[in-house]
Amino acid sequence: MDTIGVQDFLIVSVLLFSVGFLGVVLRRNLLLVLMSLELMLNAVNVALVAFSRHSANMDGSLFVFFIMTVAAAEVSVGLALLVALYKKRQSVFSEHLTMLKN
Amino acid sequence: MILSRNPVTAAMFMILSLVGVASLFVLLEAFFLAVLQVLVYAGAVMVLFLFIIMLMDVGPDSGKGAKLSKKRILSGFIALLGVGLLTVLTLEYSGVATVATDSADHWQDVTEETSAAGANIVFSKSVKSFGYGLFTKYMLPLQVAGFLLLAAMVGVIVLSKKTDDVDAHNKADGPSPGTTNPQSEEA
Amino acid sequence: MDITVGTLLLIPFVSAATILLFLRRNGKIASYVSVAAAGAILLLSLQIIFSETASSVPESGDTIADSGVTWLEIADFKVVADFRIDDPEARNESKALLFVVSFVGFLIHVFSLGYMADDAGKARYFGGLSIFMFSMLGITLADNLVLIFVFWELVGFSSYMLIAHYFHTKEASDASKKAFIVNRVGDFGFLIGIVLTYWIFGTVNLSELSQLMASDPARATTGIALALACGFIGKSAQFPLQVWLPDAMAGPTPVSALIHAATMVAAGIYLLARIDFLFTSEALSFIALLGAAMGLYAGFCALVQRDIKKILAYSTLSQLGYMAAAFGLGLEGVALFHLATHAFFKGLMFLGSGSVIHSCHHEQDIFKMGGLRRRMPITANTFLIGVLAISGVNFLSGYFSKDAILLGAYNLNLPVFVVLYLGAILTAFYMFRLYWIAFCGEPRSKHVAEAHESPSVMTGPLVILAVLSAFGGFEALWPETLFAAFHDDLHVVHGMPGHMWMVVLGTFAWVAGALGSRRLYGQVGNEDPLIEKAPALFQLCYSKLFFDEIYNFYVTSIQQRVARILEVLELLFISGLMVRGSAGVAGLFSLIGKSLYLGRIHGYAFWFLVGTVAFLAYAAGWFGHF
Repeated sequence: MDTIGVQDFLIVSVLLFSVGFLGVVLRRNLLLVLMSLELMLNAVNVALVAFSRHSANMDGSLFVFFIMTVAAAEVSVGLALLVALYKKRQSVFSEHLTMLKN
Repeated sequence: MILSRNPVTAAMFMILSLVGVASLFVLLEAFFLAVLQVLVYAGAVMVLFLFIIMLMDVGPDSGKGAKLSKKRILSGFIALLGVGLLTVLTLEYSGVATVATDSADHWQDVTEETSAAGANIVFSKSVKSFGYGLFTKYMLPLQVAGFLLLAAMVGVIVLSKKTDDVDAHNKADGPSPGTTNPQSEEA
Repeated sequence: MDITVGTLLLIPFVSAATILLFLRRNGKIASYVSVAAAGAILLLSLQIIFSETASSVPESGDTIADSGVTWLEIADFKVVADFRIDDPEARNESKALLFVVSFVGFLIHVFSLGYMADDAGKARYFGGLSIFMFSMLGITLADNLVLIFVFWELVGFSSYMLIAHYFHTKEASDASKKAFIVNRVGDFGFLIGIVLTYWIFGTVNLSELSQLMASDPARATTGIALALACGFIGKSAQFPLQVWLPDAMAGPTPVSALIHAATMVAAGIYLLARIDFLFTSEALSFIALLGAAMGLYAGFCALVQRDIKKILAYSTLSQLGYMAAAFGLGLEGVALFHLATHAFFKGLMFLGSGSVIHSCHHEQDIFKMGGLRRRMPITANTFLIGVLAISGVNFLSGYFSKDAILLGAYNLNLPVFVVLYLGAILTAFYMFRLYWIAFCGEPRSKHVAEAHESPSVMTGPLVILAVLSAFGGFEALWPETLFAAFHDDLHVVHGMPGHMWMVVLGTFAWVAGALGSRRLYGQVGNEDPLIEKAPALFQLCYSKLFFDEIYNFYVTSIQQRVARILEVLELLFISGLMVRGSAGVAGLFSLIGKSLYLGRIHGYAFWFLVGTVAFLAYAAGWFGHF
């Protein structure tokens, strides 16, 4: 392939997504889990913009804007929850957060 | 990023990858989004993360849980498997998608024109068309997003105000991870 | 709905509600409320009957269909319910029955004041009477089959409630259950008939139905007619559902007079008259034969009964058979005329028996009575008039109505005539038997010897009914609007040949019956003389052709077994497979769902991954292209 096509962007996107997912699964620290989530959202953004560019349509890019908004809101609320949780539990490790079970 | 045990290091790597994504946006001629990416993520979100990391004073991930247990190795393995599947599928899908449009590597020309409201908004580099799309076709979602941000703000304020109560309860109950007292939480 | 008609229906309803809700412990006030309601009904219905103006008669059928309340609407199925007296098809029939119901009903209410004076359950009794009046008026005035069916069930209910008035006796509670269940059998057929009618004609409104039938007479089917006639057979206790009526005599005597002689059982005939246009000739001749057979069969049963009320009950069955036969011959006007006169003289005789029973301390065995003619002259004489009327003594009311049926049968259907004529002789025979045994001779028990005449509140209705029984047959004495229902068919019969023959035969019938029973029962002891003279006949009659035994056998041996089998099937399939099975499936899903619920974030992350993979696989066309 001589030029960079939509497929290459998709590969980058899926790799980023995979890294994010591995982060969610493997990290115990909830801060890092949140970061990984952000990374996954970013991966989706890349794919969206690539498709948007590919089909010469603005909709994908506009969606990226909304995803960023939601991500920002999510991070702020998530971090606030994390802080509250930390104050209560003195821990940010996911294996300690099993109160829904039993 | 995900391999570093120190949260601060991880955050630094995260910033790196976010900037990388921004550069990808530039490559895709979505300049406004690239700027936004840097501003919102690197500028706001990551600062927030770092702030919290420092506030909580979380050290490197170590101690009992730090060692890779059999279970975590297994879960990592399964995750890798799933991710591999995902990659294969994506490639396959992109094949389908590009075949469907029958011009695999052909970027359509970018024009500066903007189309009528509600119709297909043609991709363009300009911020103007971006705003146009937002305030015509996506007016309602924009409002909803605004409300979402407002709700998030109120939620965060409430959560951080409540910490006083939680502190008071913590002093009474004592920190005891793993056990909860639902009534005290309700109060 | 006309406002007066609405009021007419509302009065007994309000009365019943007031009594049953507020006056349960206050029998005296309750009885006055109920009697006042009955009086108001009488006045109002007289006003409705006689205040016919031209404007109240709709010119065409369209105006009828438009009025009324949409009572029930399920998809295409729509029941527009209304109560009306001015239905052009059935105006005369409605009026005639309205008169009978309100008039006889009022007299029986008054009579009940005396009869039930010392009863503990007075309030319940009068509340029941009011419910009955309400439902009976509902049947009279309803303009469609569904509404008739609703009130049909309501009269069944009030009948059940009133038969079981002495519920502490096993006899009464059994009888009420029997009446209710046997009626259900008939009503089930009626219900099927209504559904079939709707299916075929698309409406249950009676006047619309009659218009449809008038435009296309070929649409009538024997099946629908007979299914609808099931309602009549159950309610009027015709063959083979006649078993409940004699047992229903366990209720208070005025109830027997009102419900089981004068009005409710006659509602079956009224129903037939309302739906007469649906009947094919086959269905009609079936009804005629059924009625004639009933007339004779019930006569034989009445021949050997000892209980004064059961004799009257069988006589009612027999007379209902006559009405059915008249209807089956196509002479529904005559049937209704006989209904009216029968309401008078049978109501009279039931009330007379009530008077006797009341003063003899609830002694109902006629062989323990005797000599009551001297002790209770008014009761005895009015009763005699009733006996004469039912036997068809010349120029009394029964003569006109019953002999009209006989004459019609003679000219239209000879087998039916023969059966009916035998029935007529029997009628005279057993009615005079009752009179000779109970009212003549010497008293045969202590209570009877001390009997005294009933109070005037009881004898008053007797006298009025006696007058009506005596003179109710003369057309000239009837108001024109009331007689209109009978007029046409009576004149058809009037124009038939064989008139003189009929007079001679009719006279012979009652004279033979009276003299024959005088010979046999003029002097009796405590036992029925027929037992010695014709034991075989007595046994045969006394067994009532084993109907009760057959039904018992059917219920215990066949129905129970089928029910057992059905129960097993029900346990296996409905309860086991469907109820438990579906619960089990839901439980299985919940188990699966529960196992997915790990309580750990990583677990959920994996599910997220599975979802993403599945989505992409779908997008890539792994599950087939979209």
